Amino acid sequence: MRYYELIYIVSSNVERKKNDQAMKEIGEKIQETGSKIINHIVWGKKKLAYPIKNNTYGTYILAHYQGGDNDKLREFDSWLKLSDLTIRHMIVKLDEKPDTVESLEGDKSENDTAEKGEDKSPDEESLKKEKNKDEENKEAE
Amino acid sequence: MAFQTRRKYCFFKENNITAVDYKDVKLLKRFTNDNGKIMPRRVTGTSAKMHRKVVSAIKRARTIGLMPFVDSGSE
Repeated sequence: MRYYELIYIVSSNVERKKNDQAMKEIGEKIQETGSKIINHIVWGKKKLAYPIKNNTYGTYILAHYQGGDNDKLREFDSWLKLSDLTIRHMIVKLDEKPDTVESLEGDKSENDTAEKGEDKSPDEESLKKEKNKDEENKEAE
Repeated sequence: MAFQTRRKYCFFKENNITAVDYKDVKLLKRFTNDNGKIMPRRVTGTSAKMHRKVVSAIKRARTIGLMPFVDSGSE
């Protein structure tokens, strides 16, 4: 039995619901091949290094699973390529059994701040900086 | 007028890293130049074993859109 890692990108233009739907459908398809899913988590929204199918941003989703039937796994790979759920995917063999991960913390928090905190945090930071500058100026005087 | 020799060392041996993950873009960027090209071993000083792993990791990162094939710098 081999362990595999599947990574796929969902267009960030689609709604959250469709995102979940894609995860659900792909999860079901993996289970159909007789594989055991170990992890299936959202890595986060990232800027793509180059545009893929006219998308500059994409949501990365990661799945680890223990391989089942080989022929069915090959079929699953080609099914993913033909389906419109993802804009790109890649399946990689793993050398060792992957650990169960609930979330990729470091990356996720960065993305959360990028998505939600865009309006607030930069302003606050800039305000603080300005304050600091004022204080420095006063001291200088 | 003696040239100062810069010591080459393997980054992975120095930091006790044995595996390279294609998702670790921050690490892999260390081994590409500004254009996104993979730098040769004679420049980076990486051991042959780890260089092979770095190369395959960078190529994987490129196919999944984490790293650029060509970084023109216009973005």
